[in-house]
Amino acid sequence: MITDYAIETDAIQKIYRSRLRGREIKAVSNLTLRVPRAVKFGLLGANGAGKTTFVKMLLSAVIPSSGSARLFGRDARMPEARRPVGYLPENHRFPTYLTGFGMLDFYGALSGVDSRTRRRRIPELLDRVGLQEWGDVRLKKYSKGMLQRLGLAQALLHNPVLLILDEPTDGVDPVGRRDIRDILNSLTGTGVTIFINSHLLSEVETFCDYVAILKKGELALEGKMANLLAGRGYRILVSGVPERVLDELRGIGAGIARSETGFEVQALTLEEANAIIDRVRAADGLVESMSATTSSLEEVFIRTTSDTPEHVAA
Amino acid sequence: MTQTTADHRAGAFWAIIADTFQEARARWLFWGLFGLSTLLILLFLFVLGVDVVQGARVTIEIGPASRDVFDINKFVHQAYSWITIVLYIWGTLLAVFASAGLVPVLLESGRIALLLSKPISRSRLLLGRYVGNVLIIGANHTYLILSIWLILGSKTQIWDPRFLLAIPISVFMFSVLLCVVVLVGVVLESAALSIMAAVALMLISTLLAQLDWSMRLLSSEWSRQLWVALYWIVPKVYDLAGVMKQLVVYDRDVDWFTPVWTSAAFAIATLSSAVLIFRKRDF
Repeated sequence: MITDYAIETDAIQKIYRSRLRGREIKAVSNLTLRVPRAVKFGLLGANGAGKTTFVKMLLSAVIPSSGSARLFGRDARMPEARRPVGYLPENHRFPTYLTGFGMLDFYGALSGVDSRTRRRRIPELLDRVGLQEWGDVRLKKYSKGMLQRLGLAQALLHNPVLLILDEPTDGVDPVGRRDIRDILNSLTGTGVTIFINSHLLSEVETFCDYVAILKKGELALEGKMANLLAGRGYRILVSGVPERVLDELRGIGAGIARSETGFEVQALTLEEANAIIDRVRAADGLVESMSATTSSLEEVFIRTTSDTPEHVAA
Repeated sequence: MTQTTADHRAGAFWAIIADTFQEARARWLFWGLFGLSTLLILLFLFVLGVDVVQGARVTIEIGPASRDVFDINKFVHQAYSWITIVLYIWGTLLAVFASAGLVPVLLESGRIALLLSKPISRSRLLLGRYVGNVLIIGANHTYLILSIWLILGSKTQIWDPRFLLAIPISVFMFSVLLCVVVLVGVVLESAALSIMAAVALMLISTLLAQLDWSMRLLSSEWSRQLWVALYWIVPKVYDLAGVMKQLVVYDRDVDWFTPVWTSAAFAIATLSSAVLIFRKRDF
């Protein structure tokens, strides 16, 4: 079955039931998501939002209570559906009795890579993640960052077309982070879909081109990164506006802050911006400039996950 | 580069078995078991280091009634009898202790999620671990029993292959008890509870096997029926020990099939339950 999506979920849901009290906790609620092929997709959410549960449902480590998940059009519950997937879990515990080479060999065999290819690919990948001299060393000697890089090599060993990374730079020093970013960037344009579950908003903002935000198990926001960061409203710089007019503007919900030359008025929509301009001009005020405002991913994230009603700060 | 589905399934299964060996080696379980077996073999060699006839005479004379006529055949078969029973009980217990942790450690968070993300079924993953465990114990039992058979044979020139029946019988009983270890490991993720369950089952099985005694002691019909029903359900640890002794030492024709099939049925039911639960669990 040919599909345009690497990941598709339909109203997927996970409900945990407390055995003693029979209470239900919805970890993920009716989540419908489409991740196109060959994109870099970031999944965000506060702690406990259901990100890891969602990822585990994709990989069948957690059984959905209802709904369905497909990987490249195949039912995610089927083992074969996971063949094109490379996965790096959060808080992984690789067997410490294995060497770096042995660990890659073991997981490579489980991924369906034949032994001859493994023998060729493993040194290449160890080199790629900067661990070429550590292949014969047992994992108990590895630092957290080294284990993370080895985990990434493990996820890449079978040339997956979908890479699911749960907090890939967690515990990695800045140089290591850059190395991981470089490796992931080198996959751009190769047709690999990269799905990152991360709490590092700046990394997701610079790396991903699609993003989804979960809030209490539900999909709160989803879209192209560029669209989400742009078009959050308009900033109008005005001067010579009487105080009573500013009060009127505050009354209609416009955010107002003092600027160097006068005031900065924030409007949410184009219509609202035009109405503000009309009112300022009617009061003989001066409109110095108007520009569309953009938001950082952090602002979008906080706005989306905050429990307070959306507002523009004055 | 990537294998066909059939090749991959076989390759992944062997990879899990090999990993079980590696883990047993790294955790010193493998070496511990082989070390103890080697110690037992060395002890046996030491005992036989003195002239075997003289040694045998001494052994016989320790018994309740000393005899003037020494029967080397009898000595060898007595040795077989002791070794097989000691191996059966002691070896099975040691094997259960050694294997109890290998399932719970597999289910550790952060390890199981990655394993489950691979294109292999959960059943195959658990069964690979099970088979790996049985092979480790099988290798150890073979090493021990074969070594003792070789030593005893070379010393006495009596080569009785029936002694080697102790290998499949001991490994079979271990593989039955391992199903309980796996089930408890999957449900409770506890090595200690796995050991307790397996040892308790050995004791219960021994108790339930005392049918003559229990039928006399139990007053009501329903309690006798319950006792008999339980006897048929649990694996026949005690009965198989008896079968082994009859076969190995006395070469008697005994009903070995009944304890084997009832124990095998118990093992299949227990392991199937473990697999079913494992397939439905969240990790």
